[in-house]
Amino acid sequence: MGILDRMVKWARIRSPWILHFNTGGCNACDIEVLAVLTPRFDVERFGILLKGSPRHADVLVVTGPVTRQVAKRLKRIYYQMPEPKFVMAVGACAVSGGVFRGAYNVHMGLDQVLPVDVYVPGCPPKPEAIIDGVVKLLKKLEEGG
Amino acid sequence: MEVLELILLILATVLFPGVVFCTYYALFLEWVDRKFFARLQNRVGPWITGPKGILQPIADIIKLLAKEDITPNGVDRAGFVGAPFFALTLALFSLMFVPIASTSGILSFKGDLLIVLFISTVFGIIIIFAGYVSASRFSIVGTARAGLQFVGYEIPLFVSAIIPALIARSLTLKEIVEWQIAHYPLILCFPAMIAFGIFIVCSLAKLEKLPFDIPEAETEIVAGWATEFSGKKLALFRLSTDLKMLLLAGLATALFLGGPAPWGFTLPADLNPYLAALIYSIWFVIKTIIVVLIMSTLKAAFARYRIDQALRGFWRYLTPLSLAILILTPIVAYHFYW
Repeated sequence: MGILDRMVKWARIRSPWILHFNTGGCNACDIEVLAVLTPRFDVERFGILLKGSPRHADVLVVTGPVTRQVAKRLKRIYYQMPEPKFVMAVGACAVSGGVFRGAYNVHMGLDQVLPVDVYVPGCPPKPEAIIDGVVKLLKKLEEGG
Repeated sequence: MEVLELILLILATVLFPGVVFCTYYALFLEWVDRKFFARLQNRVGPWITGPKGILQPIADIIKLLAKEDITPNGVDRAGFVGAPFFALTLALFSLMFVPIASTSGILSFKGDLLIVLFISTVFGIIIIFAGYVSASRFSIVGTARAGLQFVGYEIPLFVSAIIPALIARSLTLKEIVEWQIAHYPLILCFPAMIAFGIFIVCSLAKLEKLPFDIPEAETEIVAGWATEFSGKKLALFRLSTDLKMLLLAGLATALFLGGPAPWGFTLPADLNPYLAALIYSIWFVIKTIIVVLIMSTLKAAFARYRIDQALRGFWRYLTPLSLAILILTPIVAYHFYW
């Protein structure tokens, strides 16, 4: 691996910008994601910033059950992100459908719609768990996954 | 002799007070800004990238340069590709006028303050242009807001930058700096200290920093005029924003804080020119960091204004105030400074 590739990889691991998307959850996971970004847990120390536009983001953080209505829009947001891009499923609903699993209007988990890199289970997951998920994603990146 | 001077000029333009130094120093200033802002909010800020996160802005830029570069359907291709380059080139070009390693910039001629201010106006027009060619509804809303804010901050910024020129009786940055070396930094003079405050507030609006980040309000309009820019183009825009911050901090330094000259003592005239350049650039770094810290404090202290509140603030308070001190300055200066 050349020095340029190593530099790019180094930069990619140290500056993952996230885009937070709620597919119709109960907002518990969203509050935990916010807790990760605010002073107590502050993930800017890893270079993680919350971005508003999918064109600027590297990691799509999805919370909530993926309803059939939102799936199309979620896909469109995913396609708008520039490569390389990663997807994190945060919370039981995004991982498997949660308590809505089997309902007529809900996909059984985010991986039915998008390729998922990291699953963070919990209802809602603790901020520590979300940070752990991010670190696992970065480790996966480092190993060239 | 001629050849040696030419080589030195090229080195100065490319390396030391020129392109390379300004780029890295601007990225360093972004780190200072982010870190101090985070500490004011009781956060840690960038931490793991290099010692205390000092390499964070560089990592951001490299990552963005290596990302996929999307040109959406429906944009004006030439304008969409050209806008980031225009922004970066103009920022670097206007930095050539800022005195960094001596009392004059790399480029210096009579009336260059006007040229720098003119180029700083073109930044605002490029932002409007970039949002307009993006042809996205969020970009259009952000562009409209950028334009509205633009007509608000531009007049007080100009007038407050002209007041030091009035007191020093010159429109040349070099002569303003030399007047301050011969007398005292202009921030200590009565009307100029108010002008300094107006200049800092208008710089925040020009940089779209927090109380005035209306054009890219991420909670309302995604990312404003920058919504459609990704990858390399976004990297160039980020870099040009950092360079603009360096330019405005450098201008504030040159106009109000005595330029790159040290406070408290004057350098002897027969000093080795290389040693003098070193001392000047160290003092330039100290003073620009002070200006950036003032800006970060204001960022942390205020929440975002609504567009009407910001415009009312500019038109009702800052513009009349700046015009009033513009009238007051010659009277005060006639009695005390000339």
